[in-house]
Amino acid sequence: MARRSRRAPENEELNITSMMDMMTIILVFLLKSYSTDDITVAGNDDLQLPVSSSLKPPKLAVNVIVSRAQILVDGEPVLALEQVADEASGEMVPAIPADAKTGPKIDDLFEKLQAKAEQAKTLGQRAQSDEFDFKGQILLQCDRRLPFSVVRDVMFTAGQAQFGEFRFVVIKGSG
Amino acid sequence: MRKARKEYEEQTLDLVPIMNLVTILIPFLLMSAQFVTLAVIDSTLPAIQQESNEPPKEEEEEPLGLSILITDEGFTLTGKGLDAELPKDDEVNGPNVVCLEAGCPTAESYDYDTLRKKLVQVKDRWNDEENAILVPGSKVSYETVVLTMDAAREDPEDVVDESTQKKRELFPFVVIAAGVN
Repeated sequence: MARRSRRAPENEELNITSMMDMMTIILVFLLKSYSTDDITVAGNDDLQLPVSSSLKPPKLAVNVIVSRAQILVDGEPVLALEQVADEASGEMVPAIPADAKTGPKIDDLFEKLQAKAEQAKTLGQRAQSDEFDFKGQILLQCDRRLPFSVVRDVMFTAGQAQFGEFRFVVIKGSG
Repeated sequence: MRKARKEYEEQTLDLVPIMNLVTILIPFLLMSAQFVTLAVIDSTLPAIQQESNEPPKEEEEEPLGLSILITDEGFTLTGKGLDAELPKDDEVNGPNVVCLEAGCPTAESYDYDTLRKKLVQVKDRWNDEENAILVPGSKVSYETVVLTMDAAREDPEDVVDESTQKKRELFPFVVIAAGVN
């Protein structure tokens, strides 16, 4: 009896081999989904991108995110959206606060984007290569439930700030 | 004999350091893993496109200038000479493509298939046209706009090139304008 209890700890080593098998499979799977894309999307409840059949790969540009709660430029919050009740259905719909814009132009966003445009232009001049030239490209990540009036105002503002080429970021799907 | 058996027992591979390495690698890879693939849809502002346009070419035919209006009643197609050429399925003044559900409460209630069929008819008639102007109403959801651009881009049922699975392009250059409320 005494001999048996002394031998027991030796044999009860953890068998790691099966764990290793699992880990190796997980490793391969994660390596497969490793992304080197230029842009990443931090998805949350307020930002659900629409699904589209478009196949064009995204390229790096000034990144404007319009979620249901706020507008962000390159990750920095610019303007908080307000929630307004829809006249017909009574649902809460995001809208741009009336005092934050003149006409369809969103003032804070305009200033921010103009600064970005100037920055990109200086960079393009210094780099002296076509690749970095300012082409007015802008990536728009908009929530799929947003009313078009919000997207329209953002597009108008971007247009005023010399960004004329819109790229709507969507999730690649079968369409 | 007894000694030999003991040596054999001790020769198990020590996997613990590899486990440590893999355990560190997994959170790192999880962090940079991407489970959704992204794509972009190109579009330009109408005003800028007009400025950058090349001088008008000598064409036998006037450009169509196809517009797709999106309202809460459905889609309406307009363009120069479009009304006369296009077969009419609905009443004259109503939207060309009515919603599947009255009032179009969701993005899915728009009839994209019928819209695509109509656009194929337009493309059959005006084969060189590649531009379409999208005019969504203020309350139309962004998802509807994206799905309409999808419908206008290509015809998934008409595969031109079997090897690359390339579909027939309809109106790939979509310009978004704002008009109706």
